[in-house]
Amino acid sequence: MSLTDYRVLAGPEGYLPPAAATQGITLPEKGGALVEGKVVLGTYAMEQIAEKLLNAKNPVFFPGPLLLWAWKEGVAEKAKALKEMAEAAGAKIIPMPDYRPKYPMINPDIEINPNHPNLTIWHNKIDVCVFAGVHCHYANVALKIIRGGTDCYTIALCGEAGHEDAMISLRDVGLSELQQLTEIIKQKKEGAK
Amino acid sequence: MSNKIITPVEEFAHLLPQEYKDLVAKGPFFESKGVEDLGTFKEIIEEHPHCAGCGVALGVRLASAALPAPEDTLIIGTPGCSFFGLAQTAVNYATSAFGNQNAVASGLKRMLQVRYPDRHKDVVVLVGDGGIADIGLDLTLHSWFRREKITTIMVDNEVYGNTGGQESGMSSQGKILNMAPTGKKFPKVPVFEIAKISGCVYAVRVTVASPRKVGQAVRNAIILAREVGPTYVQIYTPCPTNLKFPPDQTIKVARDAEKDYYAYEEFITPEAEEYLKKSR
Amino acid sequence: MIEQTVVDPRHLFFDAPKETEFITGSEAVREAIRRANVDMAISYPITPQSESMHLVGDLFAEGYIKEYFRGENEFAVMSSVAGAAMGGVRVFTATGGPGTLRAFENFSTWAGARLPIVCAFMTRGVNSPLTIQPDTIEMASMLDTGIMMLHAETAQDLHDMILRAFMIAEKTDVHIPVGVFVDGFFVTHTRDKVDIAPKNIKLPPYNPYSAPVPVMDMENVPFRQMRDPFVMKSNFISYAAHASWQQEVLAAAERSRKYIDQYLGGLIETENQDAEIMLVTSGTAVSQSREAMAMARAEGLNVGLVKIKSIRPFPEEEIKKIARNAKAVIVPEFNRVGWLAREIKSVVEDTTKVVAGPRVFGGMTMPPELILDEIRRCSV
Repeated sequence: MSLTDYRVLAGPEGYLPPAAATQGITLPEKGGALVEGKVVLGTYAMEQIAEKLLNAKNPVFFPGPLLLWAWKEGVAEKAKALKEMAEAAGAKIIPMPDYRPKYPMINPDIEINPNHPNLTIWHNKIDVCVFAGVHCHYANVALKIIRGGTDCYTIALCGEAGHEDAMISLRDVGLSELQQLTEIIKQKKEGAK
Repeated sequence: MSNKIITPVEEFAHLLPQEYKDLVAKGPFFESKGVEDLGTFKEIIEEHPHCAGCGVALGVRLASAALPAPEDTLIIGTPGCSFFGLAQTAVNYATSAFGNQNAVASGLKRMLQVRYPDRHKDVVVLVGDGGIADIGLDLTLHSWFRREKITTIMVDNEVYGNTGGQESGMSSQGKILNMAPTGKKFPKVPVFEIAKISGCVYAVRVTVASPRKVGQAVRNAIILAREVGPTYVQIYTPCPTNLKFPPDQTIKVARDAEKDYYAYEEFITPEAEEYLKKSR
Repeated sequence: MIEQTVVDPRHLFFDAPKETEFITGSEAVREAIRRANVDMAISYPITPQSESMHLVGDLFAEGYIKEYFRGENEFAVMSSVAGAAMGGVRVFTATGGPGTLRAFENFSTWAGARLPIVCAFMTRGVNSPLTIQPDTIEMASMLDTGIMMLHAETAQDLHDMILRAFMIAEKTDVHIPVGVFVDGFFVTHTRDKVDIAPKNIKLPPYNPYSAPVPVMDMENVPFRQMRDPFVMKSNFISYAAHASWQQEVLAAAERSRKYIDQYLGGLIETENQDAEIMLVTSGTAVSQSREAMAMARAEGLNVGLVKIKSIRPFPEEEIKKIARNAKAVIVPEFNRVGWLAREIKSVVEDTTKVVAGPRVFGGMTMPPELILDEIRRCSV
């Protein structure tokens, strides 16, 4: 298999799946997005996200620290927009409050931790999840573990350059992108009725 | 810090785990809490994997409770027993390589002064005896020689605990330990004495049997480090696991040491004394 | 200090008018740092690096850098640099040879902590026996620390690579340290023409809040954070977390390839790339190889040259392709072990094509005739 034949698909991929970036998957330029390892237009990726969320049995949003605390201007608005999106998608919300290996253990009912995100996904039988507001390094650490050990379909709404290790990844996501995606979800939901 | 970083966004506040709700509602941030208030506020470290009766865990708990401004405190640690509880601290904490804590703290402190010239960011080194007195001794001393404005706290359990009970430079002479199969051949490294002549403006030797004194020393040390110079607090934190005493005897062991070779002592320069008076 | 204007990096690198100065490699470092908007530099003496960091110290005195001091040894310096970088600023330091090895533990620690530190390595031999002379042996030790490694051929390269390294290192999706390696003395202590942008422009400042890990300042979230977490329990969860973290550091280096393309024009440069015999090397060995190539081509031999600019990430595909079409791949090096030849052998399809040498070390220069001899042997 040549490197570029690699696809970022829902797992469980195996004992220790590789970082997608080392398999020839590259991040998109501005305006682009990744769907299962292929660079596509951001708008197309949003459509795919909406499909995945609306067809999920138990979709869950994982807001990270960057969206849990009102630490700088604009966060409250983004948090509100993310919550609206989750509601539109009929998804639950489980926070990732921090990144430390927590002692003695997390409560997988109510929180997710990047060092062992699989525990929360298994425990709650989550089939589609959305990362938002998680620092990129920790998102990537978690996304690989999820792909390795679970069958959960991962979506990353990234404010920076995006994530090869998610099945669908947007980049440069700000308030307007969050609202745009929510609109697409709502429209698709209406259309399905 | 601004209180914004401990202000949950409205949408998700109800979803935070209880410990965060408690930290927000009754944590030590922006309120003057101290050792004497323990039990009345949400501490920045609670659950930890230290052994039962661990003196280090107690030392770390007391030091954490005594931080004068946890909302602007950054703790630098090093590998060893001391970081088990600290890894759970509700402030910024880092360890990088064994023994390099005072050098890391030097770089961090200077840059926080550059980034926040009008504010005090308290950089506190909180590590064990091996990290300070053995592998990191030169880095500790040079940070003092350079007059870095950081506080160094040693939780002295007189042994390498995390690696399984080996002799450290701070072990008592004659003690039989791993790597000292016929007993340690030289006395404790006199870090406290060295601190007095190496640039520290304030140094205290104390044990966990005197928690109020620990609290006072840590608080003074951090306040003095803001403007006057480097400070040092050496806390005896006995280790039941490796020094082989029952875990309910930790305080007794520390108290006995206080009467013997670990008597309370405070060193303070006139300039530091003046500063403390003014700041009270 | 003269007033400096922040400009787009591409303007500083490509569009701004350049003046040619005849300066040493060490001075080229100073001129790079003058324009790099560095917050802090920390120094410690070691030959042949010392002069560079003296000159950086002069920049501090002139007001171009906010903080500068001499640390107590290289391990401490690299630790202080780490602490500064955790505090959310742009930092620079330099070392070489034994200093590199003294500081060694820090480099993988930097990479693991995703610190975008730029460090110059003025390479020299390591003990024993004691030597201060040029040698690239320390690079063999650095290959698997997780840091990026660029290798300069000339003072111009050194200047350009340092400036561009900051921009590459600080990309959110990269955000790992970059080592800019240069052969000590041969470049640092000789004069060469270097094209330099005006003094009154500089790079944009580092933005700590786009970093892939939270900066340590108690001003951002999560306030509850362990910056270098230990994932050291004896259970599969800990192993998996550590493994995924390590993979992410590797992935970060992979992502740097496109930025190396953008800022440095690729991981390699080639001359006569379809030639029968290819000289493939890095650092100043490229200069001798270029001379040898000219001599060989004057004799009618079909020889080309590959200059490897990035050792980590390594240009696997580029080298593989070039080696496929060549009859022989000759790898001249300034060290005893031939680490570059090993790297090349690990990526080409037919390793018997790789000639691991000529090699000189201990401070020797490399006469182009040594390389020419190898070319002639391969041409028979």
